[in-house]
Amino acid sequence: MVDVAMVGAGQTKFGNHPLGLKGMWAEAIEKAIQSVDHGFESKDVEEAFIGSIAFGGSQLGNTAALLTEHSGMEGVSVRRVENACASSGFALRDAWMAIKSGQADVVVAGGIEKMNDLSTSRKRYWLGVSGDTEWERLAGLTFPGTYALTARRYFHEFDSTHDDLVHVSVKNHMHGFENEVAHLRKQVSFEKAQSGFMVADPLTLYDCCPTSDGASAVLLVADHLAHQFTDTPVWVKGSGAGSDHLALHDRPSITQLRATQSAATKAYKTAGITANDVDLAEVHDCFTIAEVLATEDLGFTPRGLGGKFARDGEGRRNEGSVTINASGGLKSKGHPLGATGTGQAVEIFKQLRHEVEPNRQVRDAEVGLTHNVGGSGATCAVHVFGRQK
Amino acid sequence: MPAQIYSDGNQHFACSQYGPKWPGPDGDRITILLALLKELPVGTINLNGFDEHLEFTPSVALQEIIKAGTNWGVKGDASFYLHTHQSDYIVALTDSEDEPNWPPFDSLEYDFQVQRQLQHQWTVEVEGVSQGAYVSQAQHMLSIPSRLGLKAQIDKGQAVWPPRQLNATGQRIDSASKQMTESATILTWTRLSAAGAPSEFSGRAPILDGVSTVLVQFEEGPKGVFMLADDELGSPQIGGKVYFEIRRLYGQDGMMHYGLKAVLSNS
Repeated sequence: MVDVAMVGAGQTKFGNHPLGLKGMWAEAIEKAIQSVDHGFESKDVEEAFIGSIAFGGSQLGNTAALLTEHSGMEGVSVRRVENACASSGFALRDAWMAIKSGQADVVVAGGIEKMNDLSTSRKRYWLGVSGDTEWERLAGLTFPGTYALTARRYFHEFDSTHDDLVHVSVKNHMHGFENEVAHLRKQVSFEKAQSGFMVADPLTLYDCCPTSDGASAVLLVADHLAHQFTDTPVWVKGSGAGSDHLALHDRPSITQLRATQSAATKAYKTAGITANDVDLAEVHDCFTIAEVLATEDLGFTPRGLGGKFARDGEGRRNEGSVTINASGGLKSKGHPLGATGTGQAVEIFKQLRHEVEPNRQVRDAEVGLTHNVGGSGATCAVHVFGRQK
Repeated sequence: MPAQIYSDGNQHFACSQYGPKWPGPDGDRITILLALLKELPVGTINLNGFDEHLEFTPSVALQEIIKAGTNWGVKGDASFYLHTHQSDYIVALTDSEDEPNWPPFDSLEYDFQVQRQLQHQWTVEVEGVSQGAYVSQAQHMLSIPSRLGLKAQIDKGQAVWPPRQLNATGQRIDSASKQMTESATILTWTRLSAAGAPSEFSGRAPILDGVSTVLVQFEEGPKGVFMLADDELGSPQIGGKVYFEIRRLYGQDGMMHYGLKAVLSNS
């Protein structure tokens, strides 16, 4: 079967971006093209998959066609992919499948979100549109609330306290501090993160990712074309996806994400690896408790020990068993919903090619993983990348 | 029992726990009436012009709320007439069309400024431009036995709530008919600041110093999330018990939406 190579990757800085949708997307594509060693032209693209929630509703319909029109891809087969915060993780998976199936050889996967030009009330509305509207939201819950319910239950079931989440926050801010495209480039002390403003008890401001603008894109090609574009492709070795009940209350357990477990199992299987083989992982830490759960659900530590994993510094760059969120994660790098999944892939592309800022480099990185979750765990896409096929 | 209830023969009166002058943060004459009906044996009532005393139009017809939330029926020739005090938040059920003599009720001390702010906020929500989740009137009606009456479906012997469509074998699950126990156990809870609350609740959250939500499990198995009512009177604990009352949920598009809220059993 065809293997899939990532030959280019680019993104805007995440944060309060001055450009609009068209400008941000063009910037991400421009950077992705510039990253291709032997040159790449937009007109070569056969299919485009663009993840977005169309936040704020400014271009709710035909989003993808508008964006490709402004990035030199006129006439390309294109669609918007929407799975909440996992939109571009699924766009990446769809692009991977398009090449694996033999239907296309040159494909773009990307994502975009513009979140910071809305009024406060409109932003709050859109932040809640991906949860269970009828039963969860009308009980007062958006995602800070659902993850707060999870965190409190996790502390009840396992040997863990809020301090474990503080360790996650401090680590990710430390990683993101050196990242030139990160939204929140500031280190945070343990004491400061411990005493943040309470958003949804027990989660404080330092447990929550920011709302960011941003766009990201990766260029995928079939194996027989890879060396036309670069001598050092990053191989998309495995892909897996899963889903679960939308509402927390319908799930058998709220301290594990079955969608992640299912996606990871499939991704490891298609890649022919285990969790032990992963050198660095970009995981979906929309809230710090989500990273704790992800380290368990992805198999980096046994169930119930995710808090200890964070406490022991296991995810710190070049210190622990696997580097978790070398980019700073959603917590520090930022979370422009639809752009996050392929933004994670951009980080892995650069890390595996040793192209990140020197003091951010994960040593001897051979295998990377991305983990992109929609909502409180209704959808999840996991991808495995390698320097070798 | 948060509502104060007084009965004298065939006359039954109720007001909120806060007293006749304030129905509480999420109460009104409808929620007081529902609390009274829940305490009495099922019968029928004549609404007797009750609609004229409501501050806001409910999103679902009052008779549907009464039927789903209490099993009482609404008829012209009913066994009880419904009365409401002209100025105070007191309702009565009597066997006569004539206005009853209103009994005195106790009042709790409360912050009048908070009361005024909340009343204003409810008006803002109901009359303002919608920025909240949209669940249509028809959608509310479809799920009203489950939403207000805790009726569950049965699939392969197991209770299913909230209602679902098809089961894992592709067969349609029957409509909700099993009455679940009206108490449940807290599995986890949170208290949301305005920053953590959906837009529907973000106006009231700062006035109330946050809003609380609990994830609970019913004896029959299903779990659900509910906002907590009257939580200034106690703190939720994992393993603690709650029961349920119909209260105001949110206002939108000119209408007031009602739903079940959890109340701590020890409050």
